[in-house]
Amino acid sequence: MIVFDLMLAAAILVAGWSALSAPDRTGAIAGFLVFGLLVALSWVRLDAPDVALAEAAIGSGLTGALMLRAAGRMAPPAADRVPRAQRAAAALLACGLAGGLAVAVMDLPGATIVYDPLVRADLGQSGVSNPVTAVLLNFRAWDTLLEMAVLLAALVLVAALGPRGTPRPARLGPLYTPFLRIMAPLSVLVAGHLLWLGATAPGGAFQAGAVLCGGLLALYFGGALRPAAVPAGPLWALCAAGVAVFAAAALAAEVLTGTLLAYPDGADKIWILAIEGGLTVSIGATLLLLFTGLRQGGARA
Amino acid sequence: MMVLTLLGHLLIAGGVVLLLLAALGLWRFPDLHTRLHALTKADTAGVALVALGAGLLSGSAATLVPLTLCAVLVAISGATTGHLIARSALDEEHASWRSTRHDSV
Repeated sequence: MIVFDLMLAAAILVAGWSALSAPDRTGAIAGFLVFGLLVALSWVRLDAPDVALAEAAIGSGLTGALMLRAAGRMAPPAADRVPRAQRAAAALLACGLAGGLAVAVMDLPGATIVYDPLVRADLGQSGVSNPVTAVLLNFRAWDTLLEMAVLLAALVLVAALGPRGTPRPARLGPLYTPFLRIMAPLSVLVAGHLLWLGATAPGGAFQAGAVLCGGLLALYFGGALRPAAVPAGPLWALCAAGVAVFAAAALAAEVLTGTLLAYPDGADKIWILAIEGGLTVSIGATLLLLFTGLRQGGARA
Repeated sequence: MMVLTLLGHLLIAGGVVLLLLAALGLWRFPDLHTRLHALTKADTAGVALVALGAGLLSGSAATLVPLTLCAVLVAISGATTGHLIARSALDEEHASWRSTRHDSV
């Protein structure tokens, strides 16, 4: 397998280089997409399928879609290339960051040595058997709650600074509707499956939300879903539902057990699933609106 | 069991050959339509063969069924994506053809 790993590492470097050296934006984004998929593959090789799923769905797929969307709206790049000094500075900065990370990883006795036994010791009490979900939704649930707040803040920024109104997608022809009829229900099914699977195997709210967003985007491109036609209020409620459910659960746990986000004994799994359900819907809606943008204010038709 | 293993390896080998041909077509063919022609068919068939082979090698129906479903999904989305790319390219070609005709008349 060492041959495969070396080829993978080389391919990641080549993909990164092709993204940086592409003459136009679309080419650069295509390079970035390939780069993300290869990185996801490398996460699989590192025995981190949870991270691989998130990288493939969010890091590569949705970020790539957002980049393509942004590239379509931006003016074409100026003819003259980036100054040499600026390129050199960026390369220096990137090398410094990579070097710092390498030193940090080499220097540590290894996070796995510290955290693995800790997680393993308490996994039985967490209500789930997937250690990643146990950390995200139980041991370090506070971090995840804040992450959801960050996602909501990002949407607020896009709504404040983004373009007015949402673009109407181009017509995609007669073959697209049968495709939608298969893909849209399937995305809901797969999202639910990933959500449920998260308790015992790689999966969870973020991956499920990303898949749900994929289905919603497919509907949007088919013209079946028009966020611009929906009043902004309910959409915001949908996007804030994740944080709201999470915060309500944290407070309820505080009342019931006296500790913030310490779920009542024996009921951990129900609490985690309820929170993750809210998160999935919110993540799906938020990622969709990050792509399409929101209708601005009440006055705009 | 031996037969299944052998068949699995054969299917995967065949799939890899098809995927290589698809990559070769993408690399060597001159324009978008011929490239799509190579990519959509060979790619879909290659993925399906690799998935089937891997399912047979695993020796369990619980693995074979999801892998087969994945191959079906790749076939549906690959065919639709190829169609959409060709369609948008045709639209652009028609647009440029019309504008040149207008210019020359």
